[in-house]
Amino acid sequence: MEKLLNKLLRFPKIMMLVLLVISVAFFMVMKQNSRMETDLDEYMPQDHSAFVYSDKMEEVFDIKAGIIIAIENEDNIYHTETLQKIKDLTKALGKMEEIDKSAVTSLYTADNIIGTEDGMDIKAFYKSVPKTAENLSELQNKVRSNEMVFGRLVSEDETVSIIIAEIEDDVFTQEFYNEILTLVKSFEGKEKLYVAGSPIVEGTMALLGPKDMKKMVPIVLLVILIVLLFVMKSIKNTFFTLLVVVFSVVWAFGLMAAFKIPIYAVSTMIPVMLIAIGVADGIHLYSHLDLFLQKNPNATKKEAVNDMIKGMWKPVVMTSVTTSVGFFSLLTSEVYPIKYFGLFTAFGVSAAMLFSLLLIPAAILVFGFTKRKPVSDKNIKNKIPFAYKFANGVIKYKTITLFLTIALVSVSLFGITKVWINSSFLDKFEKNSDIVLTDRFINDHFGGTSMLNVILEADEKGKMKSPEVLSLMSEMQQTIDSKLVVVGNTFSLSDYLKRMNKVMHEDKEEFDIIPDTQELIAQYLLLYEMSGDPDNLWKVVDYNYKIANITIQLKSDNSKAINSAIAEVENFRDDFQKLGVKINFAGSGYKALVFTDLILEGQIKSLVMSLFIIIILLSFMFKNFRAGLIGSVPIVTTAVIGFGVMGLLNIPLSTTTALISSIAIGIGIDYAVHFIERYKIYAKTTGDKQKTMEGTMHHSGRAIIFNAIVVIAGFMVLLFSVFPPNRSLGALVSLNMFTSFLGTVTIMYLLLYKTNLFFGKK
Amino acid sequence: MFKETKSKIALMLLVLFTFGTVLSAQKITGLKIIENVYNRPSSVDQTADLTMSLINSRGDKRVREIKQFLKDSDGMEKKIMFFVAPADVYNTSFMNWSYDKAGKNDDQWIYLPALKRVKRISSDSKSDYFIGYDFTYDDLGDRQPSADTHKLLREEEIDGEMCYVVESTSKEDEYMYSKTISWIVKDKWIGKKKEFYDEDDELLKILTVKESVITKDFIVITLSVMQNIQSGHKTIMKLGNVKVDTGIADNKFTERMMKRGM
Repeated sequence: MEKLLNKLLRFPKIMMLVLLVISVAFFMVMKQNSRMETDLDEYMPQDHSAFVYSDKMEEVFDIKAGIIIAIENEDNIYHTETLQKIKDLTKALGKMEEIDKSAVTSLYTADNIIGTEDGMDIKAFYKSVPKTAENLSELQNKVRSNEMVFGRLVSEDETVSIIIAEIEDDVFTQEFYNEILTLVKSFEGKEKLYVAGSPIVEGTMALLGPKDMKKMVPIVLLVILIVLLFVMKSIKNTFFTLLVVVFSVVWAFGLMAAFKIPIYAVSTMIPVMLIAIGVADGIHLYSHLDLFLQKNPNATKKEAVNDMIKGMWKPVVMTSVTTSVGFFSLLTSEVYPIKYFGLFTAFGVSAAMLFSLLLIPAAILVFGFTKRKPVSDKNIKNKIPFAYKFANGVIKYKTITLFLTIALVSVSLFGITKVWINSSFLDKFEKNSDIVLTDRFINDHFGGTSMLNVILEADEKGKMKSPEVLSLMSEMQQTIDSKLVVVGNTFSLSDYLKRMNKVMHEDKEEFDIIPDTQELIAQYLLLYEMSGDPDNLWKVVDYNYKIANITIQLKSDNSKAINSAIAEVENFRDDFQKLGVKINFAGSGYKALVFTDLILEGQIKSLVMSLFIIIILLSFMFKNFRAGLIGSVPIVTTAVIGFGVMGLLNIPLSTTTALISSIAIGIGIDYAVHFIERYKIYAKTTGDKQKTMEGTMHHSGRAIIFNAIVVIAGFMVLLFSVFPPNRSLGALVSLNMFTSFLGTVTIMYLLLYKTNLFFGKK
Repeated sequence: MFKETKSKIALMLLVLFTFGTVLSAQKITGLKIIENVYNRPSSVDQTADLTMSLINSRGDKRVREIKQFLKDSDGMEKKIMFFVAPADVYNTSFMNWSYDKAGKNDDQWIYLPALKRVKRISSDSKSDYFIGYDFTYDDLGDRQPSADTHKLLREEEIDGEMCYVVESTSKEDEYMYSKTISWIVKDKWIGKKKEFYDEDDELLKILTVKESVITKDFIVITLSVMQNIQSGHKTIMKLGNVKVDTGIADNKFTERMMKRGM
């Protein structure tokens, strides 16, 4: 390897040119072929049973995500102009290319079924807009007495009415959203209008995260550049260290684009990982070079590079291979975007290794190295004692170090028990952002903007017409509705039947119950099919009355809210089972919940797996099993403390934050390997434990702390992001960098010392 | 009776018109074609077994069997239907009186045996769905020719029969169809196919007449399919056991008979 590198480095200019050409090529491919994926369904594993089932039910019941447009008139909505706006907006929405005409629901499209003395009346609430005060108050009364509309399409305080436009999962784009906003804006006046709904939230999120990243990453790089300049005191070194990172990102995204793999929201984590990991090699290489030049001020470029490659190729390859393995282990995930994330980050890490071993030495050969002033020698000599002091201090206060580590880990372990998973999309937005405020406004006035679909599946056709099943359905709805504050509304076939029963009994309240014979139920349903819009019915029951869909409206899309509703439904599982009816769940909120669990499960699986692989790899590399174990200590402490802090600070695990544990592996391993390798070299060359300890701390310890400072400074920039998940990301990456660093120079160092590793023979 | 008179007048008009064509070499108008269809001689009464197959876009199928009676009397068409199957709606009956007079809404009643009560159903317009789905009452009933403006688009052949293609546009603003296009078989004055366009002028559904029989000189459509293009839903109406002019008594079409059942 060393020979090969030296051979290649005989032609440093050609070497650099080749790497540059390939990078430009990748950049062109990336420019041309990159595509963002905003359809969240594309993220989910399509063959997972929960998704397959949910997708099937979404098709059966035509369950689609709805854009909600609320019209508020502070007086009340029963004004000619307001009603005209509801009608016009309903029609205008139906004419939009992305929206199916029949998928728009409003007071204008709704049917009003009312009981009369001698029968039943089915009428639209209005066709032509009522103009006289008398007609307006007549409409008001009609709405008030129809519980299928009152509180659902018109708020109970009568100041807000909503229009729901259901759309397919894949139609949301920024342009479409803007188009809707413009359309809605044109209807404002005396009335205020609001746009909400899960497609808006999810779509905006899928766009906002990466967009924010795009804006922040250059700033992160800039800050890293400045800090690098500061710690390296060399423009050249800084430039090439950063070039390694930039090239590795370009290669990763270029390769992704070449394979026509779209950019997912999690893909924005790739540059994050590569920046955090990629600067390490450069820092260690240049740090080695500086130390070499301190000792040999008159060395030639060639000698310096030879020494650098000789001393550093091994740890660079080792760290890169182990880090790549860590990311490769994400291939076990069931979620494709995560697989890609793992694969291409691993590729980027390998590319960074290539650049570190070729580009950096080639650059030194071509451009020379930064001459250090002899004065700095003295300065450094004066500073040396600090590394030594620190090295000795850790040993001296080993009980304190040990105690602190144990305390920290214990507190973190306690924190981990408090970690919760949140699949909420809304929680990712700023608390005072338009999206959150609109959502809250609609939740305050209506049943809720988030849906959970409970699917009841019977063992035979027609069972959904049975009074027992319908009564239990109704009972379950009432229980959920009254027990859970977060549940705003529930809706099912039972509501239709109660309404029909009441209507057919002259609108008497006491008949607002499920009819007691199957015949009457079947006849009501026939009547409804004949006279109402039967398409409404197929949203709550299937064609053969075998499967029913209960929609639970929630005021929050937070996982705790969805889980609380699921828990209440589960209480009814046995009762339904006795009637031959099975309970399942469906809908986008439920899928997001399952999805987040899957990501987490995959993440933990890969974390454990890569930990084992890394221990084995390290054991082989250092030809010592104990070295493998010790090398894994920074990873474990970093991961434990990382998750622990999340639990203690109530930061929920989500698709992005769960991935941060990968960084624990990527960075923890880097630090450990560089440190142990250096320790091993000094142990061999000096044979003296004291000197080894001090030397290692001075050499590797210095590089590690530089590395940590640089990356932490860079990621602190993300704290100013407008997108809250990116803020957590910045904080957590910085935290992980810090704990990795600390873990390496304290507890791992202490373990190296205590175990007498590499000194065993003497 | 009334319709017969009308058809006699129509016949006379037709003769006159044929004359006119010869004289002025003018073509038949769209309105005339639709009037000819509307005034085509039909039986006074009819009894039939109706099998209605409802098929949704996923191919799920449900079948309803109905026994129906129809009678033209005094400027109105009365119709009564008894459900035979499925079993849980057995003997549910439905009665409809539709009036020839333009603008007068139908009267409708439903009898639910499980409720043991006849209920009147009133609705805004005839545009409500008929027994779920693709047919609305207007598609089945004869719509007054005067309610629309008609335009003869072209003539073309369908299944070996020459047809007039007539576009009818509603005079009302709020009508559920912006227009319909009908294929009328020349000389027989019977519809062969009809396209319905929704409020936004988009094709909503297509009615295709597959089979018809001649009973006592009257043409009765026995198999027709209504395909909703937008929802993918399909209704197949099959008439069997068709008997015409058997002299059904007027008192067959009463609430009492609805309750009594078949």
